[in-house]
Amino acid sequence: MAALWERLCLRRNKIIEEAAMTGEFKKWPESSWTSDAIQWKKTDKIAAGVDIGTTSSQAAVFVDGQLFGYASIRTGSDFRGAADAVIQKALGSSGMAVKDIGAVVATGFGDKNVTYATQSRSEILCIAKGARYLFGPSVTTVVDMGGQTTKAIRLYEWDRVRDFKISDKCATGMGRHIEVAAEILRTPLTEMGEKSLDVAFDPEPVSTTCYNFAYPEAAGLFRQGYKEDTYKENDVLAAYLFTVAWRILGTVGKLAPLDVGDMTVEKELGLTGGLAKNKGITRRVERELNMTALTSAYDPQLAGAIGAALFA
Amino acid sequence: MITAGVDAGLMNTKIAVLKDGKVIARAAGATGGGGRREAIEKIWAEALKAAGADPSDVSGVAATGIGREDVSFAGKTIVESLAAARAARFLYPGATSVVDAGADQTRVVTLGEGKDITEVVLNQKCMAGLGLLLEVAADRLEMTLEEMSALGPETRDPIPLNDGCPVFAEQGALELLNKGVPKKEVADAVTDVAVVRLLSILNDKVRPGKDSTVLIGGLTKNAAVTERLKRCSGIDFLIPEAAEYGGALGAAVFAAEQNH
Repeated sequence: MAALWERLCLRRNKIIEEAAMTGEFKKWPESSWTSDAIQWKKTDKIAAGVDIGTTSSQAAVFVDGQLFGYASIRTGSDFRGAADAVIQKALGSSGMAVKDIGAVVATGFGDKNVTYATQSRSEILCIAKGARYLFGPSVTTVVDMGGQTTKAIRLYEWDRVRDFKISDKCATGMGRHIEVAAEILRTPLTEMGEKSLDVAFDPEPVSTTCYNFAYPEAAGLFRQGYKEDTYKENDVLAAYLFTVAWRILGTVGKLAPLDVGDMTVEKELGLTGGLAKNKGITRRVERELNMTALTSAYDPQLAGAIGAALFA
Repeated sequence: MITAGVDAGLMNTKIAVLKDGKVIARAAGATGGGGRREAIEKIWAEALKAAGADPSDVSGVAATGIGREDVSFAGKTIVESLAAARAARFLYPGATSVVDAGADQTRVVTLGEGKDITEVVLNQKCMAGLGLLLEVAADRLEMTLEEMSALGPETRDPIPLNDGCPVFAEQGALELLNKGVPKKEVADAVTDVAVVRLLSILNDKVRPGKDSTVLIGGLTKNAAVTERLKRCSGIDFLIPEAAEYGGALGAAVFAAEQNH
């Protein structure tokens, strides 16, 4: 038994050391893709959408209604620089330049920084449109879980937004602060979700008022764990991510129902934004809402950018 | 006689080793995560190595901080305020109060005669995470903590930022970045938030002595904050060398008292 415990500790330490070498627990993979099959020079319409968020920025380029390229990068401290970099990354080595794009729609918190944009559209509209592209026309409830805010959107069956709610001010930054929690709790961000699901029972959420209270409290659970031998690393992560999910549920719960007097219960839900890649959050949201999250072939973070491109 | 104090904080653990009234070794490391107990033991081994001592030479270990229950080798655990008071009295016998500013909490301890503590004031809940704010802001602005610390004692053209809570301050900083405000000015504004919040606790509830107040804790590593705080409050803080080890030193002093 002791030997097993020692081996486990060694494995843990090894993981930590490997992560420490890259310097960061909070890293998430940036991505980009450019089609090499589409001949863009002979086409009529090239359109792009650029979504500059507080934490990450995305761009999507469409050629004659077909996805030609996309990119997702970290915004950092230079919003204008991110706006320029993300479109270059989406165009890749295709030879297309920004001036070849007929129309560019900017959206997101930093939309004013997209100097090459032809117009700006609201995030809600872009996310709704993008979600329909990602998850198909049947999706009526979309929850965008971003770095700074959570947006819950309810759509009519046709292409129109019926209602939307944005998370309250005390939940600001909940998503982005999962990165900070990853650093404090010394768990790689990409492994957080899986680890938090590997628990015998789901612990109660910690303080749900603001993230500032949430992680000292989550870290405090470790202390309880050594005393009573109940809370282990995974339980702490579970409690923390349940807190995040709880805040998201609070925003979704405020949405107006699809139709007054209509008792049909929705079964499907579209989750977008960076947090949609964290299984520890999505599974808990699904469970509490008793709905199934739709899956998409594309990165759910791209919803805003794809929606914006479709508006162009 | 060798004693040691362990200050297991929210983010880092600090250890100070004391021999006959002198600090002979210090060690610190990040211990926020799941293997906290093992990580603290690793730092303990480092501290002992630096001190050139064997575990059997140490006559007493006291632990303090939010993670004090995780210090497996500690004989005693004490609250943070007591450790801060002991450290202040040990470093400056004439001290009248001590301010301990860390990653999560800030506390002001008013000292009485000898070992007495007359008052302890903790930060309001909305001031939690003040030290963390600076770290998070540095990360957001892609600046190192050293760059944040080198901002200097004065803001040329202050930009007001919401100082109600670190959450709003960060949102405010983002809005500035979005407008294209240079990141140095944003960093200035965030530093001012930390100063205003510390001032509020100093002005409202306690009357710290003008030149007998000791400042310890991790926030002292940021020279911009301490310089601005000195200028705005009019208090000439006594900042000891290695002030972030204040709590650990206090615990070590406490352990030495217990063994007398």
